[in-house]
Amino acid sequence: MSNGQARMKFYCDTTRCIECFACSVACSEAHELPVGISRRKVVTMHEGIPGKEYSISIACMHCTDAPCEQVCPVDCFYIREDGIVLHDKNKCIGCGYCLYACPFGAPQFPRDGAFGTKGAMDKCTMCAGGPEETNSARERHLYGHNRIAEGKVPICAAVCATNALLVGDAEEVSTIYRKRVSSRGKGA
Amino acid sequence: MTNHFGDVVGHSKVIFIIGANSAAANPIGMKHFLQAKDRNNAQLIVVDPVFTKTAAKADHFLRIRTGTDVALVYGLMHVIFKNGWEDKEFIKTRVYGMDEIKAEAMKWTPELTADVTGIPAEQIVQIATILAKTKPATVVWALGITQHSTGTSNTRILPILQLVLGNMGKNGGGCNIIRGHDNVQGSTDMCCLADSLSGYYGLAEGSWKYFAKSWGVDYEWLKGRFAAPEWMQAKGFSLAKWWQGVLQEETTYSSSPVRALWVQGNGITSMSQQVKIQEALDKLDLVVLVDPFVNEAAVLTNRKDDMYLLPAATQFETEGSVTATNRTSQWRSKVVDPLYESKTDHDIMFLFAERFGFYDEYTRAMKMAVKDRELQPVKEEFVWPDDACREIARTIKTIGLGGWTPERLRKHQENWHMFDPLTLEGKGPMKGEYYGLPWPSWDENHPGSPVLYDVNTPVTAGGMGFRNRFGLEHDGVSQLADPSVSVKDSKIAGGYPEITKDNIEQVLGITLTAAEKEKMGANWKVDLSGIINEKCLAAGVAPYGNARARVKVWQFPDPIPKHREPIHSSRPDLVERFPSYDDQKNNFRVDVKFVSEQKAQEWVKDFPTMLVSMRVVNLSGAGMLERTSKYLSHLTPEMFANIHPDLALQYGLRDGDMMWLHAPQGTKIRVKAQYSLTVTPDRIALPYNFAGVMQGVDLSDNYPEGTKPYTIGESSNTITNYGFDIITQIPEYNAGLCRIEKA
Repeated sequence: MSNGQARMKFYCDTTRCIECFACSVACSEAHELPVGISRRKVVTMHEGIPGKEYSISIACMHCTDAPCEQVCPVDCFYIREDGIVLHDKNKCIGCGYCLYACPFGAPQFPRDGAFGTKGAMDKCTMCAGGPEETNSARERHLYGHNRIAEGKVPICAAVCATNALLVGDAEEVSTIYRKRVSSRGKGA
Repeated sequence: MTNHFGDVVGHSKVIFIIGANSAAANPIGMKHFLQAKDRNNAQLIVVDPVFTKTAAKADHFLRIRTGTDVALVYGLMHVIFKNGWEDKEFIKTRVYGMDEIKAEAMKWTPELTADVTGIPAEQIVQIATILAKTKPATVVWALGITQHSTGTSNTRILPILQLVLGNMGKNGGGCNIIRGHDNVQGSTDMCCLADSLSGYYGLAEGSWKYFAKSWGVDYEWLKGRFAAPEWMQAKGFSLAKWWQGVLQEETTYSSSPVRALWVQGNGITSMSQQVKIQEALDKLDLVVLVDPFVNEAAVLTNRKDDMYLLPAATQFETEGSVTATNRTSQWRSKVVDPLYESKTDHDIMFLFAERFGFYDEYTRAMKMAVKDRELQPVKEEFVWPDDACREIARTIKTIGLGGWTPERLRKHQENWHMFDPLTLEGKGPMKGEYYGLPWPSWDENHPGSPVLYDVNTPVTAGGMGFRNRFGLEHDGVSQLADPSVSVKDSKIAGGYPEITKDNIEQVLGITLTAAEKEKMGANWKVDLSGIINEKCLAAGVAPYGNARARVKVWQFPDPIPKHREPIHSSRPDLVERFPSYDDQKNNFRVDVKFVSEQKAQEWVKDFPTMLVSMRVVNLSGAGMLERTSKYLSHLTPEMFANIHPDLALQYGLRDGDMMWLHAPQGTKIRVKAQYSLTVTPDRIALPYNFAGVMQGVDLSDNYPEGTKPYTIGESSNTITNYGFDIITQIPEYNAGLCRIEKA
C-alpha cells in the first residue's frame, strides 16, 4: 500500500474487455439513469479487423488535473481528497463547456425537453454520490447510489465479467495490471 | 464439460474454441480463457464463420465456411498423423477404432481441407502443429458445432481429436462444452427430451421398469397411460419438429395428430421454421404457455381462444439445485415468496397432477427411501425440495448422482469461501470435497470428479477410466482398456467391464452373501440397494467399468464422422462429392428430408449468400426476458443483420437501410442492414433473439395489455433453412442460404 492518501482511478484492460456492456447496464440500473444518459460507455475500435479490434469501457476518468473543473464557468466541480471528481448539479448551468474540455466524452446532458435543451450535467461519480448529505434520498435522486460510502466497489467494476475494468487506489490498479503483463510476458 | 473453467485457467496451454462465442454467450466463461492467456501465456485459437468478440481476443482466427467443421478437424488430424504426432500410447491402450479415423484423415490434405473450409492450407498446418506440440490443449465448443444436419458428427470429431492428441483425462485438456443458459446441464441430465427417461436411461423396457420401481408405481399402470404399449418405447416428437405432428405435411407416426401443446419455460420462438410453428399454433385445439414473462408464442399465433398463459415464478421465488456447465450442482435459496398470482413450476405441475388424478403416483417417490437395502415408503408427507433432491440422488446411477444429497449441496452453498476457485478443492471443514460435487459423485462420501477419465486419480478421489458402455468386444476386439491402463489404487489391474450382478464376484474377486444377492439389482445402473456401488468403491473400481473410448459408432449412419455438405450448401460442386444423408424415415415420429432437399435444385443460384445466426450479448434465447429491460433493449433497439459493405452495395444498400432476406422455403424477413467487417461478403450474420414481427407484419396487437417488450423484431428463425441433424434432430441453424433484396 502507498503511504498517505489513496488516489482512486479506473483502468480498463483492453486485452480483457469483451464488449459485454455489463458495466454500462449495471451503472444505468444502479443509478436509475434515464435511457440515453450513458455515464459509462463501451466502445469498440476497428471492429472486424483481425489484430486491430479492441473494446474499451469509458466513463469519467477522474483526472488528476481535471480539464472539466478548469473550464467550468460556475465552478461546480470539486475533487475529493481521494481524487474522485464530483460536481454540484444545483450550481451547474448546463453550458456544456466541460463536455468540450473532456478528452473522454464523459459529461452527459439530458436532452428530453423542447428543442433539446440541456439540463444539468450528469456523469460518473465513481459511485461516490455528490455534495448532498451522504446516502440521503436527495443525493440518490441527483447523483445515484453512493456505494463508496457503503464501503462497496463501484458497480461497473463489481460486475465486470472478465475483470477488465479495474478500480481503486492507483497503485493497486497498476500492481494488478503489471502482474498480468509480466505473467503473459508481452503486451502493455 | 469433461474438465472445468478453473482447470483451463490453471493448466491449459492451448484453448481451441470452435463454434462458440463465449464473449457474447458466456462472458464469465470467457474470463477464464483470458485469465489462461494472462497467467499461462495460453494460445487462444478461435474457429468461426464470423469475426466475433471472442475471435477479437484470439492469437489465431480461422474463418471457416459454415458446415465444414468435420472437414477442418480431419485436415488437422491429417497433418498430425502424417508427421506421427499422435499420442500412440494413448490410442493403443485406451481407444478403439482409430485406424478408420486415420484412413479418413489421410484423405484430407491441407489443400483439400482449404478448398472445403475456406481456411488457408498454411494456417491448417500451423494450427495442427501448435496442437501437436503444445500440451495440454483444451477444446471448447457450443451451438455453432451442434446446430447442423451433421451436428452429431461434429460433436464426435472433436473428442476424437483430443483422443488423437492424448488430451483426454488430463488437467488442462478435455472437451469443455459451454452451456449458454442457466441449468441447461441440469435439464440435459434430467433428459427433458423425447427420447430418454431422466439420467440418459433411454426408453427401453428395462429402463421403464427401473423407473417404475424407483417411483414406487406399477409398471403396468405406467404402460396403461399410453394410447398403445408400443408408444411407450418410441421416441416422442422433438422440440425441432413437433409442429409436423400438428400439420402432418411430412409423414408422421403417431396415434393421432398432436392436438394440445404445453410449453413450460421454453422460448419456442427461437426455434427454426417459425412460419410452420405459427401455422401449428393456430391449428392446435389447446395451447398452454407457462412462463414468468409472456411467451412470444402467444404473440406469434393468431388464435383468439383456447390459449392459456400461466404465470410461473422465477428462480428467486423457489429453492433447489441447478447444475452448472461443469457438472457441479449448486443450491439456491428462496429470496421471496412467489409474487402476485404466480406459482412455482413444481406447484403448477402438482396442481395439474391432482386434476388429472395421478398426484399420489406423481409424488410417491418423495416419500420413499432405501432402508435395509430396499426402496420403501418411509413417511406420510414429503418436504420440497429436499425429497425431490433425494429421489434424484438415489435413482440416477448412470452419471453418479448418489452423492448429491440436499444436506451436502446446502453445505457447499453456505461455504463458498472454503473452496479454491481454480482447483475447486475444499479447505478446512470442506477438505476432501470438490465444489458442487461434479458428477460422478458416486455416494455420500464421494468428493466429486472434477476431471473425467483421469486414471491417475483413485476412483474414490474422482478418478476413472472410460465407461464400458458398448459391450465387451466388437469385431473381435476387446472394448476394455489395455492391461497397462489401471486406475490409480484400483484393486483390479487394467481394464474391466461395467459391474453387474452376474460378474461382480468374479471381477472384484469377492463372495456375496445370499442376502446381498437377493437385494442387489441386475447391474450398477439399476441397483437401488447400493451394494454394487459400495463394493466397487471399496475396491477402487468405477461401477461403470474401465474401457476404451470408441471413435466408431457402428449403429450410426456414419460410423466414423464424415464431412457432408450442409443441406443448403454454398458449394454445389462439393455437394456431388460430399452429399448429405439419404432421406430419413421416422426419427422422432416424423420423416426428415436430407439429400432430396439438398439436391432439389442448385440452391445457391437463387440464394447466393450464406446465413449465419448469432447471439447478441444483451439478449438470450428468444430474448423476451431481456427485451423487457429498457437498458438492455437500448443496446440493440431493433433487429438487424451484419452485412459487409461490399455485399450491401451490390444491392444498393446503405448502412441502416432496410432489406428483405428470403429463404429457400419461401419465407422472408425485413431487417436493417448494419454494415460490419466482422462478416465477409459471402455471408451475413443475424441475431436470433428477436420476435414480435413476422414476415414484415408487426404483431404488437397480439401482446396482452402492458406486456409488450421495449423492442420487438423479426425472428431470424423465420428464415432458418430446412435441415435437421440425423440423430438428434436439432435444426441446422448454423448453415443455410438466403437472398437479399432491398426493401
